[in-house]
Amino acid sequence: MPRWGMVIDLNKCTGCGECVAACKVENNVAIVGPEESANERTMLWMNILTTYEGEYPDVKVRHMPMLCMHCENPPCTKVCPVRATYLNEDGIVAQVFPQCIGCRYCQAACPYTVKSFNWYKPEWPEEMKKAVNPDVSVRPDGVVEKCTFCIHRLQKAKEQAAAEKRELQPGDYIPACVECCPTKAIYFGDFDDPKSEVNKLKRNPRAFQVLEDLGTEPKVYYLSEVE
Amino acid sequence: MKTKRIFLIGILMLASLAIAFVNADKRNIQPIAYNHNKHVEENDMECLDCHVYAEENAQASIPNIEDCIVCHEEAVTESESESTLLSYIQENKVIPWRQVYVVPDYAYFSHRRHVKLGELDCTICHGDVGRFAEPISEPFVEPVMDWCMDCHEEKNVSNDCYACHR
Repeated sequence: MPRWGMVIDLNKCTGCGECVAACKVENNVAIVGPEESANERTMLWMNILTTYEGEYPDVKVRHMPMLCMHCENPPCTKVCPVRATYLNEDGIVAQVFPQCIGCRYCQAACPYTVKSFNWYKPEWPEEMKKAVNPDVSVRPDGVVEKCTFCIHRLQKAKEQAAAEKRELQPGDYIPACVECCPTKAIYFGDFDDPKSEVNKLKRNPRAFQVLEDLGTEPKVYYLSEVE
Repeated sequence: MKTKRIFLIGILMLASLAIAFVNADKRNIQPIAYNHNKHVEENDMECLDCHVYAEENAQASIPNIEDCIVCHEEAVTESESESTLLSYIQENKVIPWRQVYVVPDYAYFSHRRHVKLGELDCTICHGDVGRFAEPISEPFVEPVMDWCMDCHEEKNVSNDCYACHR
């Protein structure tokens, strides 16, 4: 079975936010107003973590796209009382929305704080209602949601490959953020495939995982910036 | 005592009338009294002749005037339903068919996956629809998860939540 994973090259990332926008549109992630956003209720499956180093005028800005790390040893799945979140056979940390009871244990357990809770029934402005992606469900209020590595794309890619009577090829399935990145800073592939690009990149000396000492074994690797 | 009995009989009659009304309403949910039996059994048509995308797409598609016009450019029979269809065609209006099988948006159901790749017969989910003379008013089986999962287990295909949910 494949183990889907991601490598993000921070040297190439300009922090433009294209991945954030692509993710939000692709996955029908709800829009919350500025007031709710100020209450830390922003809904984002992918976010850019921006840090500032130094004092003006010698400021160094660093950007780091943060998303669900799809850990091999996920802390969130262990606390879910209803198995709405679990590590599935493709190595993706699943979040099954109709199963979720909204207890938010998983949100509290996630050390990367990448899970969002639907405080309200999602609503879109009139002009955007017809732009909702039909391949992805619109979550009701009271459920936790997070990046699914665009699982609907995997479902379709698997079906297409089966219809063409072939195995899934590299590039058949890529999430929206990877497809949209203008500097091609995000790589995606199967970590179990020894020939895959992500497999080579994760062995790069620049590669690191976020909070790797926690032992969660994230499947999102970063290539550190070179000064 | 007598008034009580009359009152009870009255209530019962009203209830049965209401049920009959609801049932009649249920049967008449389609804009045209489409007869599957006439098309499939009597005229040897295949499901795919009208539901053209059943083998290629997630949705099998419900035929509309552009498909019906192939055979029904002029009246073929004297039936009332056909004249209703012809009026839709003449006015170039879309037939507002009511979709009977509804899969919730958090589930991914693909006809291609089941019909083409899984080689399942249409009758498993839709019953012997080719013999139905009445227009379809309710699903043959309620597409509930237990039913899907039993079949997946039987056919040895993935029962992972993400095989269907999204």
